[in-house]
Amino acid sequence: MLSVENLSISFRTDEGLITPVQGVSFKVEAGKTLGLVGESGSGKSITTKALMRLLPRNASLSGETRITYRAKDGKDVEIHKIKPNARSLRHLRGGEIGMIFQEPMASFSPVYTIGNQMMETIRLHRGCGKREAREMAVEMLNKVGISNPSERVDQYPHEMSGGMRQRAMIALALSAGPALLIADEPTTALDVTIQAQVLDLMRDLQRDLGMGMIFITHDLGVIAQIADEVAVMYLGTIVERGATRDVIRAPKHPYTQGLLKAIPSLDTLHDRLSPVPGDIPSPTERPTGCPFHTRCPDFISGICDVNTPFEVSPVAGRSVRCWLHSDVQGGRSAA
Amino acid sequence: MSTSDVLIEVKNLEVLFPIRKKKLFSSEVRQLRAVDGISFDIKRGETVGLVGESGSGKTTVGRAILRAIDPTGGDVVFHTNGNDVDLTRVEGEELREFRQHMNMVFSEGPVQLSTLGADRLRLFRSKMSLVFQDPYSSLNPRMTVRDIIAEPLIASGMMKDREAIDVRVREIAERCKLNLEHLRRFPHAFSGGQRQRICIARALVSRPDFVVCDESVSALDVSIQAEIVNLLKDLQEEMGVAFLFIAHDLSVVAQMSHRVAVMYVGKFVEYAPTEKLFFEPKHPYTHALLSAIPQADPDVEFNPIKLEGEIPNPLDAPSGCRFHSRCPFARELCASEVPEWREVTSEHFVACHFTEEFEFSRPNRNTKN
Repeated sequence: MLSVENLSISFRTDEGLITPVQGVSFKVEAGKTLGLVGESGSGKSITTKALMRLLPRNASLSGETRITYRAKDGKDVEIHKIKPNARSLRHLRGGEIGMIFQEPMASFSPVYTIGNQMMETIRLHRGCGKREAREMAVEMLNKVGISNPSERVDQYPHEMSGGMRQRAMIALALSAGPALLIADEPTTALDVTIQAQVLDLMRDLQRDLGMGMIFITHDLGVIAQIADEVAVMYLGTIVERGATRDVIRAPKHPYTQGLLKAIPSLDTLHDRLSPVPGDIPSPTERPTGCPFHTRCPDFISGICDVNTPFEVSPVAGRSVRCWLHSDVQGGRSAA
Repeated sequence: MSTSDVLIEVKNLEVLFPIRKKKLFSSEVRQLRAVDGISFDIKRGETVGLVGESGSGKTTVGRAILRAIDPTGGDVVFHTNGNDVDLTRVEGEELREFRQHMNMVFSEGPVQLSTLGADRLRLFRSKMSLVFQDPYSSLNPRMTVRDIIAEPLIASGMMKDREAIDVRVREIAERCKLNLEHLRRFPHAFSGGQRQRICIARALVSRPDFVVCDESVSALDVSIQAEIVNLLKDLQEEMGVAFLFIAHDLSVVAQMSHRVAVMYVGKFVEYAPTEKLFFEPKHPYTHALLSAIPQADPDVEFNPIKLEGEIPNPLDAPSGCRFHSRCPFARELCASEVPEWREVTSEHFVACHFTEEFEFSRPNRNTKN
């Protein structure tokens, strides 16, 4: 339902042009969840903001970028071509693609009640009357497991606890009836017990409504539980992708391997952890060649630091951007 | 374990915050029991982990032990060279001297209580929340890394000679794997992981016996976090410092700690050596908390125990056992009587009326078929 090809995003900054996202391609299918994993600065949030055309003014998409979305009425929308002030964009945001953010308090207006804000969305996207919209809002709150929805609907965001606000946020995003939901670290700010509740809820809702979902997180544990497919990002490129189970069972890219090894596990309580050496480079000092070569344990001098690896598929359904795996495709090492 | 190994003894620690509700002609004062009667000890060179959900009072415990907040009741005894000192009774100059032995690493870096005189301490306390909200404020942007690390030594009057200070700063910087070239730079030039190393160096430069790490690794990316955890463990081995490691991430706490305490609405519910707590939990809350950790393993069944509702507001904490409102095994007795804090097996403390009836095992171990 959504296909992204060659997405590159550049920002004009005082230090010159930086390109935090380079050549990202992926697809999302209806009813499936794509997990986007990466550390801070890997470009995962900017990528999804581009899908909603929510980038700041100093950002620009490259000419090769193609973002095609199949709308609910079956028509294909080319998101990268929409003018920033177009009416169709207003319909797309919320009505077709919904978004949930990490900090629910920042997404609600503090001066309107939850119900007010939900009714605004419902009336805009569904074109129904006030009374009907209110009924729908109450029903949505009930669906996300908020008790006493008919009273809660008249409460202000600050009257709710963190977990409840995040549920209300989900209800708000879903009230416009989107076909695709983008969730940007929706559980990161929550305690584990509440996180488990929210993950459960999102899984159930997705199954009931048949939505496609893009789930952004830095927590591979959460990804393992919710995503069908996973894409691992490092410095603005997808370095590895495949079915979640396969990627976590048998990671191919040294970065994915390092990331999985760095997670503390209860099975190895007294062993030392294995960190990925070095720091994440800043976007202004992007390494040449493979972006990961500065921290890679299997770095091949003369290849990795010179040539950018291209995407290869060592096994069906998997792809990886790494020179270590490029010989699988018949030694095309000199690109 | 002989008592001489004990570094810090906490007895019935209690912190109440008065909450004033203004009415037209009067005001109503209610007590928020942030920490409500906690007893435990920390041994020399040991790491005690403290976990709990937000609002459970973990940070308040850490700060009350350091007297960054004055406890309203109970004792904190700091055992040092044979002289036992009750920290809740120390005043003025003497208190300042003790702060040299204890430092605090806050979530984004240490705040050197040792650098604050009694008058500035007041000022600092009034600004406490600001320190926590702005992650960059824990490293002064106008001071070089060298000056930041040296500050506790100078402010506490521990060292006066410039060269001696330089030697000490270089030594600790090296131990914390900082590049010595970087000592002349300012904090803005550093990444999160490097900043955290600067903060750790500052906390350890005065050779403290005890450091509180409050969410010290929570803001870091996993690949960097592992490095800081390893560093803290190495430093502990070399210097014999004891940590109170406060975090909400249970797997990191398990990795760091020798013993772990679980907190729920101002009270400890369980305290045990790490393996016992994680593999044979005895309190229903601990068990539920452990079951909610998502495992990065798609073949492990994820079956979190669903707790009803949310963590109660400490202003109106439930009667009896505070967990009874969400506990799947709650009975009548739980609502009326506060469970006793008792040692069920050696070194394993639990506060639950019916713990003997439960047989919890490590959650989420059943593999999918």
